[in-house]
Amino acid sequence: MGKTMRQTTLETLGLGTVGAMFRHGRPPVTSADLVDRVFGNSGQRGSMVISGANGIVGAGKTMQLGARLEPFGVRMVALDFPNAPDGIGKQYPGLVQAFGPDGANRIMANITRMNYDGRTLPGELKQMRPRFLLEAIPEVLDVKRAHYKIFRDAFPDIEIRSVTSGFPSSELGVGIAHPAFPHEINKIWEVVEPEPSPVSQLLWALGLIPVPVSDHWSFVLDVLFCGVTLAGLRYHDASNMPFWKVDKFVRKLLGPNPFRAHDAIGAQGANFLTWSCLHHLAQRYGAVFTPSAVLEERKTTGQNWYPPNHFRPLVDWKLDDGRAAEFQTWILGPMFQMTSLMLHERRGHLAHLNAIGELCAQFRRGILAVMRAAGPDAVIETVEAYHRLHPQAAGAAWHPDAFASMESPEWQQLYVNAEHDDGVGVVTISRESYNGDVDAELNRALDWLKVEGIERVILTGDFHLSTQLVGADTAEFYPALQNADAGYGIASAWSRTARRLNDEFEVSVACVNGKRCLGGMLELLMHCHYVVAVDDAQLGMPEVTLPVVPGMEGCHWPFRKAPSDDWPKLLQLLLGGRPVRARDAVGWLIDYAGSLGDVLQTAWTIASKGKHGLERRKVERGALKGVPTDVPGLPEPDAPVAFEARKAIVGCIQDACGAKLGDALAVQAKRSADFMTSKWCQTGVVGTEYTKTMVV
Amino acid sequence: MSKANEIFPRARIPYGTWGSSYFPAWQTSALAEVNIGQFAGEAMNHILGLRRVPKSELDYLVIGSTIPWHWKFWNAPLVASCLGERVPGYHMEQACATGLQAALLAGNEVQSGYDVVGVLTFDRTSDSPVGVFPERRAHERTRALADVWDNFGFDPATGNAMITTAGLAARKYKIERQEVDELAYVRHKQYFDAKRSGFLDRVLVPLEVLNVQGRPLGRIDDDLGVRELTLSGLRAMNELDTCVTGGTQTHAADGMACLLVATKEKARELSPRPEIDIQFVAKIEVRTNPSLMPEAPAFAVQKLLEKTGLTMADIAVVKNHNPFAVNDAIFGKLLDYDWSCMNKTGSSLVWGHPQGPTLTRIMIEALEEAVDLGGGYVLLFGCAAGDVGIAALLKVS
Repeated sequence: MGKTMRQTTLETLGLGTVGAMFRHGRPPVTSADLVDRVFGNSGQRGSMVISGANGIVGAGKTMQLGARLEPFGVRMVALDFPNAPDGIGKQYPGLVQAFGPDGANRIMANITRMNYDGRTLPGELKQMRPRFLLEAIPEVLDVKRAHYKIFRDAFPDIEIRSVTSGFPSSELGVGIAHPAFPHEINKIWEVVEPEPSPVSQLLWALGLIPVPVSDHWSFVLDVLFCGVTLAGLRYHDASNMPFWKVDKFVRKLLGPNPFRAHDAIGAQGANFLTWSCLHHLAQRYGAVFTPSAVLEERKTTGQNWYPPNHFRPLVDWKLDDGRAAEFQTWILGPMFQMTSLMLHERRGHLAHLNAIGELCAQFRRGILAVMRAAGPDAVIETVEAYHRLHPQAAGAAWHPDAFASMESPEWQQLYVNAEHDDGVGVVTISRESYNGDVDAELNRALDWLKVEGIERVILTGDFHLSTQLVGADTAEFYPALQNADAGYGIASAWSRTARRLNDEFEVSVACVNGKRCLGGMLELLMHCHYVVAVDDAQLGMPEVTLPVVPGMEGCHWPFRKAPSDDWPKLLQLLLGGRPVRARDAVGWLIDYAGSLGDVLQTAWTIASKGKHGLERRKVERGALKGVPTDVPGLPEPDAPVAFEARKAIVGCIQDACGAKLGDALAVQAKRSADFMTSKWCQTGVVGTEYTKTMVV
Repeated sequence: MSKANEIFPRARIPYGTWGSSYFPAWQTSALAEVNIGQFAGEAMNHILGLRRVPKSELDYLVIGSTIPWHWKFWNAPLVASCLGERVPGYHMEQACATGLQAALLAGNEVQSGYDVVGVLTFDRTSDSPVGVFPERRAHERTRALADVWDNFGFDPATGNAMITTAGLAARKYKIERQEVDELAYVRHKQYFDAKRSGFLDRVLVPLEVLNVQGRPLGRIDDDLGVRELTLSGLRAMNELDTCVTGGTQTHAADGMACLLVATKEKARELSPRPEIDIQFVAKIEVRTNPSLMPEAPAFAVQKLLEKTGLTMADIAVVKNHNPFAVNDAIFGKLLDYDWSCMNKTGSSLVWGHPQGPTLTRIMIEALEEAVDLGGGYVLLFGCAAGDVGIAALLKVS
């Protein structure tokens, strides 16, 4: 590719650009090749050892990696002390749920459990030919170093990664692969290594999300997670507000509930880890990180943060405007300051810094997106106000100059990137759900391509941070629950963005590369002239289950492109809420389905005006006649809310399809917005989420 | 004047770090549904938060309550845990004198070496527990006793009910029904005037109570059950005993109240108005003859004045726990004092009697009133089960 808006995140892994992937018609690496490189060729295949395998991290990663490496014949060795409580056996029900009994048995049978005394490795380990050690033992530096020495003495060529959340690679003497909770399913790994390694690339090829970060004390996730915990603790100290209530206000403000998370992870271990990270950060960076007295106490006692069940809270706490502003300062001030440090130290690609908070620490919007929305002046003012409340934090680790480049593409394109080769543009979305930030960034990306003179574009996931595209971020709908104008504003603005893909480019191709594309994301992609998808991707419109009425033209746009004979299938998709496989949606919802390689090649061929043999499906501009109102065989709604949701969606389909294309956008946006203010939506998933999150 | 020394020279009450819940009448609010010990701990934490006092300042906690509550065995340490601060402490009780005695004990704890001692008093008269007591000497063998009502109705030492003591005392001092009705009318007016003026907003803190699902159960934001009475209405009420009617006696209520006692230095540090100094001057208790409880507080005050060398003319604020209007009439008579000059912001006769916290709220109101007056001596007193009278003197400067 000739030009990019900002660096592609895949490049940080040494995997090139997304554009190059399309141009070459294949991914840059394959799992099979990388398994050979890391574990040896088939026949000489070595094993993977996870030490501390019964711990929360060890057991989770034994499952996650075991499930992915078992098909390649890589044996898993789970190593721990003989008296360690069984953490691996507890994973079995989850495995059965994910892979079925046969799959679960296969994965478990591939795990060999071994015990050791901490000083000498079991003799039988040698027979397993260990090639890769993932160390997940307690956070004690000397113990970890001694552990590596035993392995290196026995297996000099072994590749080692530590899951540490606090110690830098330079202190440990090994690379870092720091995973995120919940360890069975969270795909993020913060990796620290001098150059992108086959290990990190293998993680990527196995469908995980390795994210390179710099080698500093405590990694990005821990600065954010421990940081927001500490911010909550400081507010608790200043206000007496109980932890459970601080949690609710933090969740309302940013998304995470750090104290609940500690209890869920296991307060005994999580309290210590949080303290350990903050303690080491404070030693290097000063008082902004100093653990509070109550954390000091609870790292020792392991006490939960929420009260026990028999003492569920009785007295509620509210914040008036003045105290709410103060609360924001106590929480955002340190978060912004800590982020300034990470920016100053260039701890990672900005899209990574931003995404880690969303994908691992429950941030509704990444911390950089929050800061960008506030603007540099407000960010600096917030930190300065925090320093007035907590003067000790002002001494060090504050880098306001880090916000000077907020107007740069690196800051402005956290979720959407664009690149082109002077002929074909590739726009990538790195967020799984569509929100106002994605919408704004997508518009900027399309503007940039237009300015660059690009008329042919591929829209796709980023093959890295977004492993699927799940639809609209329902948190964006909160203002619309009480205000139809707000809902109309969102639906019409996002629909106008989507239409640009149809209206402003000579050729636009949507490529579904992940495991699913649903709801608002599918509505967005269907505006492209062509939609191609990997053949087992799930495509669906689950809005009816929430319920909401699709707002980005999903109720008429696909009808205008599909043969009338296929309209019942679209109706089924919209009213049933169940997804279809991409291979079953060709011709009426998408244009092509195939293997990833085929899909990459097809998308590129279409976009680069090659011979592809696919007919461009025309968008009918007039009013459609004969759109059905029901689907034979669709199960009866099981509750009034389901009945009303279907009725509203059918009404929207009839009105929007019955309008001319020029009017349909407004018709659908209004229908969607009106339903959002109904009691059905307000008491449904979105309304319940809103109440739980925002009404505290 | 010369004898009015401090009893706890090291101890001060930091102005403005206190607070009380409203006292809804029994069975009228969400407080009827809660474990009052837990509620009180959480409420004190909330009040300290509103007053910008970090709970971590607490070294020790004295709690006071009179009605058993679930897990009472764990007493102050448990309530402190509900408050969110694992400090030691103990539970005390002295019937209706609990709210004043707890503060005095806290003064003593500061005098003994603690820097900041919390005082937290509370009770829930609604649905008070019922105990089954094996009793070998009674013909029933076991007796089920409803804690509040059976105790009000029967002093085991004398065999008389509380209300009987009021009637007996009224007859002893020849108190007229007319005076008692007028007194009760004035007390109601004093309360409602203070309420309308906003004075009570400085003392009482509205509190939201949650149910087990974390949803609102009710807001405790009024002394529910209190209604403005007319003089003619009071006069028309049935007399239950001499000079005692529904309008001239208090009612059972639920609630909590809290304050801090600290060293002089800490009090300055914690108070939003460090220039205000509140000292403990003196304290007296007396026990009068059987079933004459309403006269006991007056005797206590007489003794206190004698001890301190003060006269009623030296006192800036006079406030008492007056479960019966008769108490105040007797006090006026024995001390030759115009009862309309006391209880200027209301009293427990009007806003109810949750027992443990009653005199704590009275103390807080009195101190606020004294600050409004620019300082002076504050006289607090009241009666307690067992024909006891308690009186204490504080000084606000």
